[in-house]
Amino acid sequence: MTPQPVPALQTGDVAPNGALPDGTPLLALRGRPVILAFAPSTWNPAQAYQSEIFARLLREFGDDALTNAAPEFWHALDCRGELAAQLGAAGQRALLLLDEEGILRWKTIVEPGQELRAGQVLAALEALRPAPTTPPNTTAAVDTEAATGGMSRRTFVLATLAAAALLALPSVVTAAPADISARPIPTENRAAMLPIELNINGEKHRLELDPRTALLDALRGNLHLTGTKKGCDHGQCGACTVHLDGHSALSCLTLAVMAQGKAITTIEGLAKGDTLHPMQAAFIKHDAFQCGYCTPGQIMSATALLADPHTRHGSAVEIREAMSGNLCRCAAYPNIIAAIEEAQRA
Amino acid sequence: MHPFQYQRAENNGQAVAAVAKNPEAAFIAGGTSQVDLLKEGVHKPNLLVDVAGLPLRQITDFEGGVRIGANATNTEAAYFPAIQARYPAVSEALLAGASVQIRNMATMAGNPLQRTRCPYFRDPDQPCNKRTPGSGCAAIGGYNHVHALFGASEACVATHPSDLAVALAALDARVQTTGPQGSRTIAFTDLHRLPGTTPHLDTTLAHGELITSIDLPAFAGRSHYLKVRERASYAYALASCAVALEMDGPKIKRARIALGGVAHKPWRTPAAEALLAGQRPTEKLFQATAAAAFADAKPLEHNAYKIPMGRNLLVRALLETSGLQPLAGPAGTAFAASVGGMAGQVATPN
Ligand SMILES: Cc1cc2nc3c(=O)[nH]c(=O)nc-3n(C[C@H](O)[C@H](O)[C@H](O)COP(=O)(O)OP(=O)(O)OC[C@H]3O[C@@H](n4cnc5c(N)ncnc54)[C@H](O)[C@@H]3O)c2cc1C
Ligand code: SF4
Ligand code: FES
Ligand code: FES
Repeated sequence: MTPQPVPALQTGDVAPNGALPDGTPLLALRGRPVILAFAPSTWNPAQAYQSEIFARLLREFGDDALTNAAPEFWHALDCRGELAAQLGAAGQRALLLLDEEGILRWKTIVEPGQELRAGQVLAALEALRPAPTTPPNTTAAVDTEAATGGMSRRTFVLATLAAAALLALPSVVTAAPADISARPIPTENRAAMLPIELNINGEKHRLELDPRTALLDALRGNLHLTGTKKGCDHGQCGACTVHLDGHSALSCLTLAVMAQGKAITTIEGLAKGDTLHPMQAAFIKHDAFQCGYCTPGQIMSATALLADPHTRHGSAVEIREAMSGNLCRCAAYPNIIAAIEEAQRA
Repeated sequence: MHPFQYQRAENNGQAVAAVAKNPEAAFIAGGTSQVDLLKEGVHKPNLLVDVAGLPLRQITDFEGGVRIGANATNTEAAYFPAIQARYPAVSEALLAGASVQIRNMATMAGNPLQRTRCPYFRDPDQPCNKRTPGSGCAAIGGYNHVHALFGASEACVATHPSDLAVALAALDARVQTTGPQGSRTIAFTDLHRLPGTTPHLDTTLAHGELITSIDLPAFAGRSHYLKVRERASYAYALASCAVALEMDGPKIKRARIALGGVAHKPWRTPAAEALLAGQRPTEKLFQATAAAAFADAKPLEHNAYKIPMGRNLLVRALLETSGLQPLAGPAGTAFAASVGGMAGQVATPN
């Protein structure tokens, strides 16, 4: 019953076979280099831009002198899928380069709160360069070049382009570690990683996590579902409220490993396409927030309250009592109660 | 956070064996106390055995009373019809505790096993005999306004924070366990210890002993829980009390009183209880009872306020339980259990 850790794929290892989303086995791509880019399907626009730039660079510069790759060597893959788990990239934004023989040549993980950097893009492109005699050893190749200052014209052009493209995006260039508390635990201090499957907003997500990871940190740091907020991290504010099997619960006091097998709903899961959940609409109508930081938690508690037969028909006072687990530093309380009462009548 | 391995318990026996054989292992159920203390660096287990999936969630009729499975959530127990109707003190204590989210997660075994809210216990930079035996007690010479009036020792003056535990003590609940030495029944009043010279031990459970259920014995009287806190909701009790009264016509046949927030365990008051037996309920009698209940209180530097507060609270709880004064809200809800705040703003039914 206890899940066993998956060993991470190391540079130099032959990648296990696995299927691409269209069913093509990885093995069928042998004979040309393959870049695998893993990302959560929902990530913020700045990050989506990045992968777009990366794709464009590869499309434009990855075809001739650098590599003999066939046209579609780049794949945008769901980091929560089977393949990500097999390649040890579950839940991560990761770029992997397999060479013609299916050997992992290069891998980079974009850490939570960080953005893909020009240097990483460059290193991937450099790694595609067929070495004249020996098989490519990317870090060595890049280092040697840097050390000698002998940057080829090609490399220089690429570097400039990559940097220019990234510079064009202010949010990218200034990207600072956004959520310090969600940063991964330093490796030397890690417990064995566990493969974990979470069912979030009706979708299955596969991750490889330290058992200490709180559901809140898995949502924000690993899956980039940053709608769920971290306030106190100790069960005292309600900002991190999600639904577990339809009941409100605190994701900061839930270990991700213990949320397996439960239906997890986050604020991202309430709207249907562009149509807001009635509670979201009522919050907007009643101006039920100022800074908005507590709002996702408030809305998750409010929707659970109205789904619960014990509290559904409560008076304003009973709503206040049932909402007492969600603090609002801006004191939007009267508006929050008004919004809930409206949703209750609807 | 200290690294730990995680294991999902397969059955009671396997859970007990896994923890019993490893002194650094611990159970986890709802996680609301355990995860908080892991994050604080107060608990440092190397193995967590998750018992939340064990089939111990049923609430059933049992010997004229109610058997509550260890894994029933605080919410499930609070709204369980037989509990809300026949043991309102239990529902009141549960619903006046924590928040909806926490009650949805918290289990009936985990709640009485939560650890003290003494702020020094939760700060690994402070001396605390409960967290680090032999390091001293920062509360004794420190700020001790939430600490004990009864049964404290020179090693520790902490109080037990659970509301539920106070109601269970007044109702003489029983705890069913299965452990390395087999199964047994523990009177709820014997579950928690006084600090003495071993404040690091909160309970009389053996390492690896698993609670399987909490049993409420048959009871035909009235029960009630009342709590004072620093804000209207979502706060621990400064002081609280649970009262169970069995009547014989107009007279009290038997009374049980447990005080919360004043000792290392729910504090039963046999001398005060004895004053009530065979008497007609009057305010004067209840004043005398409350005086007797607090006669042996030993305040610290900052918590003497709890003596008049606790006495007044007990008088009010007795008046409300005996029917001499109406409840502040419907029986079995947070509104009946609360002093001030939102209590009194909801109409009492009938
Ligand atoms: C912000 C906040 C406010 C709170 N306010 C209140 C309040 O006002 N009143 C109140 O009473 N409580 C309050 N609580 C505490 C809350 O009620 C408890 O944390 C909760 O009941 C613990 O239950 P759990 O299932 O989450 O336990 P866990 O955290 O999983 O475990 C608690 C302990 O019980 C042990 N354990 C669990 N199950 C078993 C078992 N079957 N057998 C043996 N050992 C077991 C664990 O090893 C652990 O030591 C509050 C908590 C928070 C975070
Ligand atoms: S009162 Fe008990 S828990 Fe608090 S500091 Fe002293 S020893 Fe620790
Ligand atoms: S972040 Fe979870 S309750 Fe504050
Ligand atoms: S709107 Fe700012 S904290 Fe609630």
